[in-house]
Amino acid sequence: MTRLVLAIMKKEFLQLRRDPRLIAFILFFPVVLVLLFGLALKLEPENVRMAYVDQDPSLFSNLIKTNIWSEGYFTLYEVEDEAAIRRAIRLGEARAGLLIPRGFSAELTENAQPTVRMFVDGTMPSLATAMDNKKHAITDDAVTGDMYFLDPDADNVVIAPEPFHLDVEVLFNPDKKETWFFLPGVVGVLIMQVALILTGTAVVREKENHTLEQLIVSPLSKSGFVAGKTLPYVLIALADFYLVLALSTWLFGLPFPGSAQWPLLVLALLYVGGLIALGLAISTISQTQQQAIFLSIFFLIPSILLSGFIFPVEAMPSYVQPIAWVLPFTYFIEVIRGLLLKGNGIADLYPHYLALLGFAAGFIALSIARFRRYLD
Amino acid sequence: MSAAHPASQVRRTTPALSASGLTRRFGNVTAVDGLDLELAAGEIFGLLGPNASGKTTTIRMLASILRPSAGSAQVLGLDLVREADAIKRRIGYVAQHFALYPELTAYENLDFYSHLYGEVHPARLTELLATYGLERFRDRFAGQLSGGYKRRLSIACALSHDPELVFLDEPTAGIDPVTRKELWDLFYDLATSGKTLFVTTHYMEEAERCHQLAFLSRGKRVASGSPAELRAGLGGRAVWAFDADHDPVLMSRLRNLPAVAVVNRMGQSVRLVVEKDFPQDQLRELLAEWPGAGEPQPVRATLEDVFIALTESNS
Repeated sequence: MTRLVLAIMKKEFLQLRRDPRLIAFILFFPVVLVLLFGLALKLEPENVRMAYVDQDPSLFSNLIKTNIWSEGYFTLYEVEDEAAIRRAIRLGEARAGLLIPRGFSAELTENAQPTVRMFVDGTMPSLATAMDNKKHAITDDAVTGDMYFLDPDADNVVIAPEPFHLDVEVLFNPDKKETWFFLPGVVGVLIMQVALILTGTAVVREKENHTLEQLIVSPLSKSGFVAGKTLPYVLIALADFYLVLALSTWLFGLPFPGSAQWPLLVLALLYVGGLIALGLAISTISQTQQQAIFLSIFFLIPSILLSGFIFPVEAMPSYVQPIAWVLPFTYFIEVIRGLLLKGNGIADLYPHYLALLGFAAGFIALSIARFRRYLD
Repeated sequence: MSAAHPASQVRRTTPALSASGLTRRFGNVTAVDGLDLELAAGEIFGLLGPNASGKTTTIRMLASILRPSAGSAQVLGLDLVREADAIKRRIGYVAQHFALYPELTAYENLDFYSHLYGEVHPARLTELLATYGLERFRDRFAGQLSGGYKRRLSIACALSHDPELVFLDEPTAGIDPVTRKELWDLFYDLATSGKTLFVTTHYMEEAERCHQLAFLSRGKRVASGSPAELRAGLGGRAVWAFDADHDPVLMSRLRNLPAVAVVNRMGQSVRLVVEKDFPQDQLRELLAEWPGAGEPQPVRATLEDVFIALTESNS
């Protein structure tokens, strides 16, 4: 019995050893995953971009800003006015905002307890929650303590136990619903699976079935083959796209603004087109269905972890961030959250649309270049 | 050995296929080496050779599935490389492996393949199913058909567009003699209706049925002609046969006789392929030592004798 098991085990290992690509995946995969989880992923954001308006530049406002900056949590940059803060957050240029109002220092020294306003992007609930926990950073004793000493006018000493109020406004998704954060991304993950796994094995299966040879010998053109092989999966992926959206809207109240209808269709076409083409390229590179599936998963996992789907891209170390920008999913996430949760239009998101268009064109070119009309 | 087949002489002016210097290399290995071929329209041409002699590579090149490394060919009067698209519409190709979609029914497979070539008439498909004896299995999944019916379906699929030239790579490998005979009857019908058939095989029953043969060994053509010519030719060699009980010592002694090319046992009989200057006396002396050994007689060569002799003298 043992001998028999050993004999079968030996044969399995021998077979695996003869598939060097698969071995490479099996060994390479854990290394990459460990590095990703170990180095790249942090739940706690840092270097979050914060747009600020300081309408009362003073020693006090500087104290607040430098304190925020030194926490390492936010990277501050100055904008014109409150509208500019809101626009920056809507467009994803900033995830948070800070407004120090006119007359802040005067009210402070008169113990009138002025209000400092903060804004946070609610489409990232983890960020909004973390900010709630962190907002004491600017009201804590270190800041307020310094304020007592900084008062240049000895007649007006800041004595209130809480010298100013902090008002945090959560923009978009005010309830910080995490389902709203995740559901739009789930659409993208699902499309990736359909596109990569189904299309990825589609051509390899013809090879394994020996039917590819019969297709090559027919007058079928390269473009005819590529179109015929991929369009069914494009339709399936599009159907899935709208099915997931419909379920999310119906069951979990995910917003679906009427204005998002057409931009969403464009998004779906670009994203589905690009990934189906990538699936086809994987299929032409792979020798077996196993290899194709491994390659697909190898693309899927970093996409899920590094795209901003779960963790904000800004929170990743700067040397890992470039990976995010070569994943189509990163742009997809940004666009779909923008369309559904922030009410953005194509004009607001056009750089991301362009990136997706680029991926689609690139992957289509790659798959056509890889596809051969001869067996050799 | 030049062709004496009447059909090929009549139609010599318009060969269905002619190749010259056709060569295919895979890395350092030359699978097909400077092959010259000529097929007359309406004939069944057999490319004969042992495994790995380059038969499949040749057929794949001629069917525009593989590109030749060197050489040229005219298929139905068209250039093999430059006019591949036009050629593809007019040829049919039956691969060695079943090229069927197992989860589609027989009819669906046929319908799919015929659509690759243009307009399809259901009546024509039904007729094809009838011709290949597949009516009963019309709605059976291709994956569930027996080997013989898979083969019939593969051939029907490859012929659905009524090609003028049909390539068949080992068309009846692994098939029982009755099915083989039925399929060959269909091949003859096709040839009679003016189509040209290019068959590769290492089955002698199949080779015997061809009008013309070319023998391939290690990628080179080493003999060609009709089956009768090949049998008669044998390169000036002769075949002798006698009865004897099996004995490994006898076999090795026979092999060591001068001018003996092949020693082949067929049941109770031993066949020798020998050179012209074969010393008959030495054979008789040797056999005298074995009680029960019969008298050696010169016999008519079979294609199998030719096949083995050509294979062994070229390896």
